Amino acid sequence: MSPATRRIATLFTTELRTMLRDRRTVIMSIVLPVVLMPVFLFAQQLMEERRTRALEARAYTYAVDGVLAEEARPLVAAAAVRGEARSARFREARVDDPGAALERGEVDVVVDATEARAVQEAARHERRGPGRPAALVGADEWLATLPPDLPALTVVYRGDRDASESAAARLRERLGEEQRARRLALASDAGFGAEVEAVLAVREENLSGGDEVAGLALGRVATLLLLVFLFTGGAIVAQDTLAGEKERGTLETLLTTAATRVEIVTAKFLLVLAVGVLIAGVQVANLLVYVGFELIPTSAPLATVVTPALAAGLFLFVLPLAALISAMLLLVSGYARSYREAQINFMPMMLACAGLALAAMMPAVPLRSAIVLVPIANISVGVKEVLVGRADWLFLAIAWAVTAGAAGWTMRLAARTLSTERLIVPSTGETYERPGVPALRPERIFTWFAVMWAVLLLVSLNTGPDFDIRLQLLINLGGIFVGGSFLFMRRFRLDWRETLLLRVPRWEVWVAVLVGAPSGIAVGTGVFQLANRIVPVPVEVLESFGQYLVPEGMSFWMLLPFLTLMPGVCEEIAFRGVLQQSLRRFFRPVPAALLVGIIFGLFHVSLFRLFPTAFLGVLFAAVTMLTGSIYPAMVWHALNNGIALVTGYYGWSLAALEPAGYAAATALLALSFWILWRTRPDADPRSPAPGRT
Amino acid sequence: MIPVDVAGLTKIYVDQSRGEVRAVDDISFACQPGEIFGLLGANGAGKTTTLRMLSTILAPSAGRAAVMGHDVATAPEHVRRSLGFYSASTALYPRLTGRETLEFFARINGFPEAAVAARVEALITRFGIGEYAGARVDTLSQGMKQKVSIARTVAHDPPVLIFDEPSVGLDVLNALEMQKVIGELRDDGKTIIFSTHIMSEAERLCDRIAIIHRGRIHACGTLAELRAATGRHYLEDIFVHYVEQAGAAPTP
Repeated sequence: MSPATRRIATLFTTELRTMLRDRRTVIMSIVLPVVLMPVFLFAQQLMEERRTRALEARAYTYAVDGVLAEEARPLVAAAAVRGEARSARFREARVDDPGAALERGEVDVVVDATEARAVQEAARHERRGPGRPAALVGADEWLATLPPDLPALTVVYRGDRDASESAAARLRERLGEEQRARRLALASDAGFGAEVEAVLAVREENLSGGDEVAGLALGRVATLLLLVFLFTGGAIVAQDTLAGEKERGTLETLLTTAATRVEIVTAKFLLVLAVGVLIAGVQVANLLVYVGFELIPTSAPLATVVTPALAAGLFLFVLPLAALISAMLLLVSGYARSYREAQINFMPMMLACAGLALAAMMPAVPLRSAIVLVPIANISVGVKEVLVGRADWLFLAIAWAVTAGAAGWTMRLAARTLSTERLIVPSTGETYERPGVPALRPERIFTWFAVMWAVLLLVSLNTGPDFDIRLQLLINLGGIFVGGSFLFMRRFRLDWRETLLLRVPRWEVWVAVLVGAPSGIAVGTGVFQLANRIVPVPVEVLESFGQYLVPEGMSFWMLLPFLTLMPGVCEEIAFRGVLQQSLRRFFRPVPAALLVGIIFGLFHVSLFRLFPTAFLGVLFAAVTMLTGSIYPAMVWHALNNGIALVTGYYGWSLAALEPAGYAAATALLALSFWILWRTRPDADPRSPAPGRT
Repeated sequence: MIPVDVAGLTKIYVDQSRGEVRAVDDISFACQPGEIFGLLGANGAGKTTTLRMLSTILAPSAGRAAVMGHDVATAPEHVRRSLGFYSASTALYPRLTGRETLEFFARINGFPEAAVAARVEALITRFGIGEYAGARVDTLSQGMKQKVSIARTVAHDPPVLIFDEPSVGLDVLNALEMQKVIGELRDDGKTIIFSTHIMSEAERLCDRIAIIHRGRIHACGTLAELRAATGRHYLEDIFVHYVEQAGAAPTP
């Protein structure tokens, strides 16, 4: 055994021993996940069964309402008794005001019996927006085809109540059966026999076997689950082994030994990897036990989907993923100066990795595409393809190599943190101060911005679509953002030049801005599309937003400065100026940028714009931090809005980009940030003031 | 071979509020075997930064330093194998026992595997920690921890030892015990660099003293030489003399 290997082995065994002796680490990383997982699954299964039984055994009440109530009552009563033998019972409740009774929970469901024309009119009324034709669209188009005098039954229920939702579903089904029975009776009265049922036979045949379907279902979530297991297993150990050592003062002791930085990180990495893989293994075994006992239903026995040989192959395939997660956890821990800081930085990293692991859920994204070059996402897609029996060996090998390479590179970065003096030398903080404006209490900053947000919301709620967009922008941007920001600076006596970072940056920064703005918006569109899979945005909302931005009868080019320059200047003053500079005293750069981005997203008062605007907010925050000036973010912001509006005006959709297009945009954005990083004002080698001399 | 040889050693860092700061500014000294070399200076003088550069935790901005002939910049692993570093900020692993601590530091610093057990037992006997060698460090008293800590510093029998303000946080008795041990280690032939801001400690222990202020060494010699150069008897007066002289000189 070489001296280096011996040192790594010594470090590893000692780390393992100290970890196993730490009750907190053992409970949090091993006992809790192992115990909680089965308890959670069992409880969830038990509750679901009890809920289903309770809903099945329950007697539901319904009321009949509407102008045709008396005519409909026998029909509904006949429908309600259908299937009573096999499931829940219904009884009618005679109430004066069925709508109010439904609200109060006195009845579970109300059948509203009217003529079809009333339903058609109501549907039109709901859909009628500013400037929209009074026509039924989307799912309600079939209503327009009904004869207006046809009796129409609307099952009214409360989706936020289990009993009401369940009653509605059951009653709808029984009304359907009643409808069919009456149709057959009509046909029979008209002299038709059973042949009216025998018009056309429709059946379906799935060529995929049950094991393939089960493989697809498992493949979609397998990597995400594994990722969560690896994180829950490895995070506590990683935090304890580097950030914890810094806090305890043992890291400096270790750094004065003969072990090199690489050896130290390798030993710690092996520990995190071993614990992460062990916990993930135990969790997977847990799941298998539950699947084996059929507490988790699958469309095929798991043994036919995952054979022992396949399981072994999958283990080897996901090993680089485990290595990458371990290295990332160690990197985050290495960059933190305390346990708490490591915990703060851990969450965004886990969310980012989970986002990549969702790649397997995206339809029609094969491994044989640009995704093979994206670590984690490539393993996710690869696992899915293997589980459905479509293994593309060449691309599986490339995915494996890419993720393994990323793990190695991340390890290198983690080792570098042990040579970064500001991270390893305890600083008392009296000489090294974080940038930003003089310290205010964080709650003051948050309270101020919460008030600004509330005012913005009030204004938005009280200005309809007919309100002049230019006036709205003047109120929001000029009044709330700029006015609120200057009031803040005045109230807390902040130097406005320092707070707003009014400094001229280096010329290279402008090159980075010109490259970054178009690529940033393309990447942002990609983020939006990903977000759209999580929070789908209705087409109508998008259309109405576009219409709201550029109302009819207003010149696009006249409006352009209002939508580019004004947000560029005013929003940057508020968010990258006042907010960011105030938060810099309390947060390290990454958490500060994320926080500024999220708050920026929230200020757009729209759930569907939250992700893309938060993404842009983080970009602008990073640009401001790297350049030490607010001007580049202002220009970038204005360019971003300009590009978005002009492409929208001419009908060029960035959403139509191919994956390769997004990859190219990401590369350009990375290039832009590389320029900013290389030209940042504090790029000269620096170290902190040592704490004690 | 000169065990510790420092020439023109400098450490510069950039501080957001103060700009460029020279924590250590062009210092030079050399230490001999069997000698305790004292770095005497107030808080913030540059003592810890100097010693951290010698132990390769920090990288020098300029100048050179060598320990047992190994350069701190080009052969840091060899440097660390040749020295033991003790300071108030170098803590022990709380969840290891005293014996495990000594075994770990002997092994990690490359002490021959076959001799580790005997070395550990010898250290336990020498430092009188036999009674609690099997107890976890986090259960020990401050005095017990201090003994284990010194024992781990010498676990691999290095020729050079660095003690950075070792008596910080210790009571009088433990501080005297610490001084006694350092004196014994000097008698064993070790080269010892000892930093302190306590005049009596430096007077009692150091063979030679370097007075460091604002990152510069303003005087270096035996106590007798310093007395002769300043015409003052007490080390405290000598120290104040040099600090006042440095204060009158333009700030570097």
